[in-house]
Amino acid sequence: MSIEYASAANAFDAGETGAPPASDPAPTTTRSLGRQAVVDTFSRFGARVGMAWLLILALCAVFGPFISSSHPIAMKVGGQWSSPMLRHVTPADVLVLIAALMAVVLAVGRWTSFIAGLSLIVAAVIVLAAPVYWLVQPPRNIDYSLYRTLASQGKLQAVVYTINRYSPSDRNSADHLNPPGAKHWFGTDNDGADVFSNILHASRVALSVGFVATGISVALGIVIGGLMGYFVGVFDLVSMRFIEIIESLPRLVLLVTISALIPPSSRTIYVSMAIIGITGYTTYARFVRAEFLSLRNRDFVQAAVAAGFTESRIIFRHLLPNGLTPVLVTTTFGVGAAIIYEATLSFLGLGQVDQPSWGSLLQEARAGGTGFIWWIAMFPGIAIFLTVFSYNLIGEAARDALDPKLRKRD
Amino acid sequence: MLTYLLRRLLLIVPTLLGVSIVTFAIIASSPGGLGGALLGPNAQLRPEERKAIMAYYNERYGLNRPPPVQYLKWLNRVSPIGFKAIDTGFPGSLKFGLKWCDLGESWQRHRPVADLIGEALPITLLLECSSLPLIYFFALTTGIAAARARGKFVDVGLGTVLIALYSMPEIWIGVLMIGFLTNREYFHWFPTNGLHDITSDAMLFLPSFSPVGFQRGWLLDTAWHLVLPVVCLGYSSVAYLSRLTRGSMLETLNQDFIRTARAKGNSENVVTYRHALRNSLLPLITVTASTLPAILAGAVVIETIFGLPGMGLLFTDSALQTDRELLMALTLIFALILMISFLIADIAYAIADPRVSYVD
Repeated sequence: MSIEYASAANAFDAGETGAPPASDPAPTTTRSLGRQAVVDTFSRFGARVGMAWLLILALCAVFGPFISSSHPIAMKVGGQWSSPMLRHVTPADVLVLIAALMAVVLAVGRWTSFIAGLSLIVAAVIVLAAPVYWLVQPPRNIDYSLYRTLASQGKLQAVVYTINRYSPSDRNSADHLNPPGAKHWFGTDNDGADVFSNILHASRVALSVGFVATGISVALGIVIGGLMGYFVGVFDLVSMRFIEIIESLPRLVLLVTISALIPPSSRTIYVSMAIIGITGYTTYARFVRAEFLSLRNRDFVQAAVAAGFTESRIIFRHLLPNGLTPVLVTTTFGVGAAIIYEATLSFLGLGQVDQPSWGSLLQEARAGGTGFIWWIAMFPGIAIFLTVFSYNLIGEAARDALDPKLRKRD
Repeated sequence: MLTYLLRRLLLIVPTLLGVSIVTFAIIASSPGGLGGALLGPNAQLRPEERKAIMAYYNERYGLNRPPPVQYLKWLNRVSPIGFKAIDTGFPGSLKFGLKWCDLGESWQRHRPVADLIGEALPITLLLECSSLPLIYFFALTTGIAAARARGKFVDVGLGTVLIALYSMPEIWIGVLMIGFLTNREYFHWFPTNGLHDITSDAMLFLPSFSPVGFQRGWLLDTAWHLVLPVVCLGYSSVAYLSRLTRGSMLETLNQDFIRTARAKGNSENVVTYRHALRNSLLPLITVTASTLPAILAGAVVIETIFGLPGMGLLFTDSALQTDRELLMALTLIFALILMISFLIADIAYAIADPRVSYVD
């Protein structure tokens, strides 16, 4: 009996394939496919767990310097209060704070769409960068031992520390290779720097590399893939051959080759982002091209052409919104992959050198001349793992949400 | 089929050319310049000496020529068809025709590139060939188990564990493995690095019992050294392929012929392995093509971590030292390996699925 029922259900579904998803039995509201997919995705448990970790990480990235710093929040020396922490805030910290504040306000107020809000924040950061860098000028030479001397001489009449009392670059050789404990939560490394603080501050690198690199890949992929799929012909042929050339080398090989040739002094985080972003566009270009190729002969596009719309209008208003949803899933996995690539490059000694990153911490665990120190290897690795895991959980959920074959199961 | 094969084989040539142009362009546009890398250990020189040596190197390796000329010279040396100098009594006489490929000499190691690759390639191939069957074995068994227990605890649990495995960076697992499993402070179960024990030359090939006691022999020694690298190389591919097997099996198990097979009274095992599995293998064949780049890239990381003197380690070394000849040859070989495996995957696909034909 149940078998018959199942077959009937199958036949019903088979008859329905190709119909737009609007024919769901209970279309509660008229939402676009993309919005529906996002709502569907985050109704799943895995995606929620992933999102929760990413939110924690985002908080760490924004408030890192205020959670973990060797500079006391406030201290009283010689009867005078001062705030070394605020004195040492960097322009980057301020910009990140402004961006986060804008994001929260826009998200709560729901005044703009996601894309518009994102562009607004990026624009604001670019505009504010110059004045902030001019206004906020922390001292160049930082002497962390000052606070320790003050404390040991008893000159600190009152002091308020941050939650974790160490900056990532605060190397106190008296404390080197301390195991995890109440003082140093994740232990210290060979130079006496606090591992927890390093991981916390590197979360900014990891998050931004993931987003920016994938953003570059997606933007390039959409533009190139869209042009290929829309204009077909010679451009398509040449670009496709080029994509084949790029893809016949493993991406890591390409990344290592490029970053090894950049002199170490100019290997900044922005260079890492650009390299990882540019080498990753091929997947997205292929995706968008395939979508465009299948869409360009559909009736609604023909109608738009017949109506005499300009090509840019057809591409941006008709093709792109319909062809973009499948790219969403790949993007989520792409962010995780970008984080792993960045960590691997840093691990191989080819990453950026100006800031600590999770990969370079792992590298330190391997290369430190003192043998294997488990806490330096364990905690950065857990951080990478949890972050990539979160992105992959969200990606899986998004794929399930977008896959009509799986949808009928629920 | 034959014409298709020929066309694909011929298409490899322009793609390889493209790869070499792209790599050469990347290397030539290196902001640091190549001369500095050539100096190597003699880098601490007085400025005028340094200048003189750089000029000598630039002249010797032709680095003062424009990059396109350098590229053409390199291409002429590497390609099996090209100009070669012949001895006609006139200096500079050239003859066009077939000749031997000459991959050049490594700038840093001062040995022929072909020799270096000849030593490294077998090690990488050994690593790949020992991990691929294992990857497929574990991926298929876990994937089938998950598909058969669809929606139950086993399925959900396996799914979560596999996504977690897939998310673990190889660099982390590798470092932890070396730290915990090869370290005398924790568990000294496996050798620290390399492919053989120091004494492996004196070992018998097969394991044997002698009056002295058990001798593990060369074969077992190599296998013992390979355990950790193979596990580290394979686990994420297992996770990926297993998820794919599950999806493909589920799709097949939903089809009518499976119901027919069950209705005939076949046991569940026969249905799973004879009917469903065989029909679910097709996507796995195509995906082999995308698993291989992952494994090759993995080899770069894993050989570096575990100190295996294969292509990956050679590659990272040559990239770090800007050894152009070695770097060019290695990228070409990586590309060649990938393209040939893509081709094999396509052919296997056509053989496995009679509906697919490449005749047009």
